[in-house]
Order: sequence, then C-alpha cells, then structure tokens
Amino acid sequence: MPDGTTTPIVIASGLTPQELEVARLIVSALSLEVAAEEIEPEAPLFNEGLGLDSIDALEMALAVSRAYDVKLRSDDERNHRIFSSLRTLTAHIEKHRTR
Amino acid sequence: MAWSGMPPDGTLPLTNRAAAEVICHRSGGPVTVGRFLGEARALAARLPAEGHAINLCADRYRMLLGFAAALLRGQPTLLNADASPHRLRALAGAYPGAYLLADRAIASELPLVPVEDAAAADWTGPAPLLPAGQLAAIAFTSGSTGQPTAHPKPWDALVAAALAAAGRFGLRPGDGPPSSVLATVPPQHMYGFETTIMLPLHAALACHAGEAFFPSDVLDALDGLPERRLLVTTPLHLRALLAEGRRPAPLAAVISATAPLALPMAEAVERDWGAPMLEIYGASEAGSMASRRTASEPDWLPYAGIRMGPGGDYGEVHVPGLGAVPLADALEPAPGGRFRLLGRRADLVKLGGRRASLAELNRVLVELEGVEDGVFVAPEDIESNPAARLSAYVVAPGRSAEEVLAALRLRLEPVFLPRPLVLVAALPRNGLGKLTRAALAELRLAVAGP
Repeated sequence: MPDGTTTPIVIASGLTPQELEVARLIVSALSLEVAAEEIEPEAPLFNEGLGLDSIDALEMALAVSRAYDVKLRSDDERNHRIFSSLRTLTAHIEKHRTR
Repeated sequence: MAWSGMPPDGTLPLTNRAAAEVICHRSGGPVTVGRFLGEARALAARLPAEGHAINLCADRYRMLLGFAAALLRGQPTLLNADASPHRLRALAGAYPGAYLLADRAIASELPLVPVEDAAAADWTGPAPLLPAGQLAAIAFTSGSTGQPTAHPKPWDALVAAALAAAGRFGLRPGDGPPSSVLATVPPQHMYGFETTIMLPLHAALACHAGEAFFPSDVLDALDGLPERRLLVTTPLHLRALLAEGRRPAPLAAVISATAPLALPMAEAVERDWGAPMLEIYGASEAGSMASRRTASEPDWLPYAGIRMGPGGDYGEVHVPGLGAVPLADALEPAPGGRFRLLGRRADLVKLGGRRASLAELNRVLVELEGVEDGVFVAPEDIESNPAARLSAYVVAPGRSAEEVLAALRLRLEPVFLPRPLVLVAALPRNGLGKLTRAALAELRLAVAGP
C-alpha cells in the first residue's frame, strides 16, 4: 500500500454484505490471519480451503449463537451443507436469525 | 494377578453384564446386551479372516459393535479417527491386513466392511470369553519421529481400567441404578474409548449412540437420556456449554479430561448445573490413572491398582496389565495417597487432546523444502485457554506463508498447524544458536507492530 491511510481495497470476490459480516465474525472469533474480504465465498471452510478444524467449529458455533441467536447443530445431513462454505453458512444464518 | 475378577483359566468375558441390561441408547430406542452380542456375532462372521480393524464409526453403537466383532475374531482395533487417505495408507503399511469398519463412505483403497443395522438373533447364554492377554486395541500418540507411536492394549488391561473406573465413579452393578453417558469426545480417542466403549461392557452404564458436538446437540441429547446422566467432555466443550446459558437436564456428574480444567469453570458447573465436576487424569499410553473433584480437591487420587512412581521415580506409573509406563507430566506425592500435577515437562504441548513436542514440530518445520529456519511458539495461556493455538516464525525466502502451511498440513495433525505462520527475514538466534524466550517475545512484538 502506498501510504498507511488509504481505505483497504475490497477484493472483488463477490461477497454480499451479509457474507462479509459473517466473514468478519469468523475472522475475529477464530483470530484468523486472513482478511474477511479475502475469504472465497464458495471455498470449503474446513480442511482445505480455510483450514478450520473441530476447535474452530465450536468457537464458530459460540460466536454465531451470540451474534445471531442461531444454534448450530450436527444432528443431520444439513450440517455438511451449512458448513460447506461461507455462502451456505450465511444463508443458514439469514434464514434462522432472530436478531 | 492383583484384581479379583480374573477367572482361573486366563480368560475374561467380553462383557460382565446380563443379557437384559441396556448397553446403548440409540435414536430408535435402547439396545440390550443380548441384542448387542447377537449383532456383534453376526458382524464378526462378515470380517476378514485376519487383520487389524481400523474402526472409523462415528455412531458409538456401531463403534462398539465393530470393536466387539473384531475381538470375537481375535483381531485388534486400531484407535484412529483420522480418515485422511495418507493416514490410512500409513496404517495399512504398518499393519498388514488392515481393513476399515465404517458407518459412512470413506475415500480409501483399503477394504471396507460397512457396519450397518441388520437383524440378528439375540445372544443367549453366558457372554463369550476372551483370552486375558489378547491384543484388543492399539492407541496412538504423536510420535517423536513424526510417525504416530503405537500403544498396545491387552484385553485384561482394558478390563482392569474399566472396573477401576466403575469403582471410582459408582458405576458397579451394586452401586445404584444404571447410568447413561453422553460424550463429546470421539470413541477412537483413548478417553472416549474407555468411557463410552469399555465402560458399557464392564459397568452398569449405557452409552448414547449419536454424535453430539455442538452445545445444542449435547443439551438436546441429554434431555433424551434417562437418569443417572453422566456427561463426559473436555474443557473446550465445557466452555462452549457454559456460554450457551441453558441449564442441562439433571446430571449425576460431569467428567472432564484431556487438558487441565480451570477452577472457575469447575465452580460454575457445580454452582449453575448442581452437578459434581470430576476430572480424570490420563494419557493414551497408560489410560485413565486418577481422578479428582476439581473445585474441592487440588490433588489426584489414583485408581485402584494404579501405582504412581513405582520405585520412587515419579516419571512413570505402574498400570495393571501394562506394567511401567513413562509419563509426559511431572508430578509429586501428596497427602492421603494422592499426587499433585506439577505441569507438563518442558517442550511438550497439548492441544485439542493431542500432544506434541515443540522440538519435534520444529524439526518437521525446518525439514520442509525451502525452509531455512523456523520455530514454533506456544502462547502463554496454552494451559488455561482451551482454544489456544501455536504460532510459527519461519525463514523461507521465495516461499509464501500459504505454501509453507500447505506443506506442513501434509505432515502435522491439523490442531498443531500454526496460527499465525509468520515469514521473517531471520530468527534472533544468540551466539550459541539458541532462541531465548526474551528474543522470541521481541520478535513477536516486532511482527505484530506497534
């Protein structure tokens, strides 16, 4: 960056405002090194992709519960879809959020 | 032999429970010991003639079925939850005839025996007997060579540990009504294996079969279990459960292991949930060794049959069926036959229930192609923060942090991957080539910026 005062450039990754908000929540809850804007909306969150693991899953559940009052569950097949990417997770939150 | 359950002919039963007792709670209802043994016998008939069973079942009842079926065929179960192709390939190389037992599709070239629901005639008559010395399971820890180290478990050692735990936690048949246990730890981890696979076979206890990972899953599953409920978990899960703010169904006890439980969390469980908060001290090598009620007992009481520091050397423990086992922790004797944990020996870190040596991690790091120097650093709060992560400082000209991380991912268990991995021009080694704590702290500050 030429000087330290310019606004960060939003990478043209096609994040919706809601996805960006969830991405910021994840980055801050998990202390990730990546910028929220750089998260690929359709890339896997776990293993390859962002490289999250089961410790992160619990932290993420906690953060999502606090921010949106949405309870994540692992009791059905939907879970694999919900966590498959930032896009699917955001869609799940948008559908179930109460705040 | 030191304990009394040993029949004279050198055999031990697969289970000491009666056919009509409940061994597992599934979503379809309770499963009796008789039905379980019948299904295990049917599954045993479908197993290869010989080999090692890699039991990847996530459903605890199916894990239990697969374990029992392998035992009936005289085959050891490899306690491994890692279904990645390179891990399975490594196991197959080390254990000829290795095959998979699984309740889901697994991408692997190894033979797979699906463990699924199938009608079978109930087992009647006495439980099958197994040779006391039969190799029943093999547990793994992150090894010093980068390859996991194997820890063989003969059947008598596993049964002795289960009987000792049953005595300690009031789970013997005469101790009261039967209990049900819900666990947040996988049955392939030694702690989860002992509490949810071995205890249902040798204590008045039934396990919850389904997976329960997120706080909502755990709380809902507890609602569905009959009393006396036990929750077997870890500090990481307890933190998330307490933060959920919803009081669980009445619990007879909460048990935690894999990492030290912070006193405030133990007190919160006792106060907010009205349940005794117990901790188990154990290791994959030795199994569970001792327990304490954290809020009121600073020191650990060894299980029956366990002798800490045989011969005065507190670097090891004597375990029935295993003999002397070295310990990764430093400890000292305390009053009343108890002992106090002084902490992990320098260089060892434990994250997410997995243990590694920093020196070993560093060696793996600097052996990567393109890496000239590098060091893993454990955070100050690694013992108190269940979500703590390692970081790494790496000198790798011409390579990106992502490239180094991708190379590490192939060699390390995911929980030890550094967060962050920071590329630096050089490490602040002193004249002896050593990295002092102070130099690392300065480096950390310099990288983090003002």
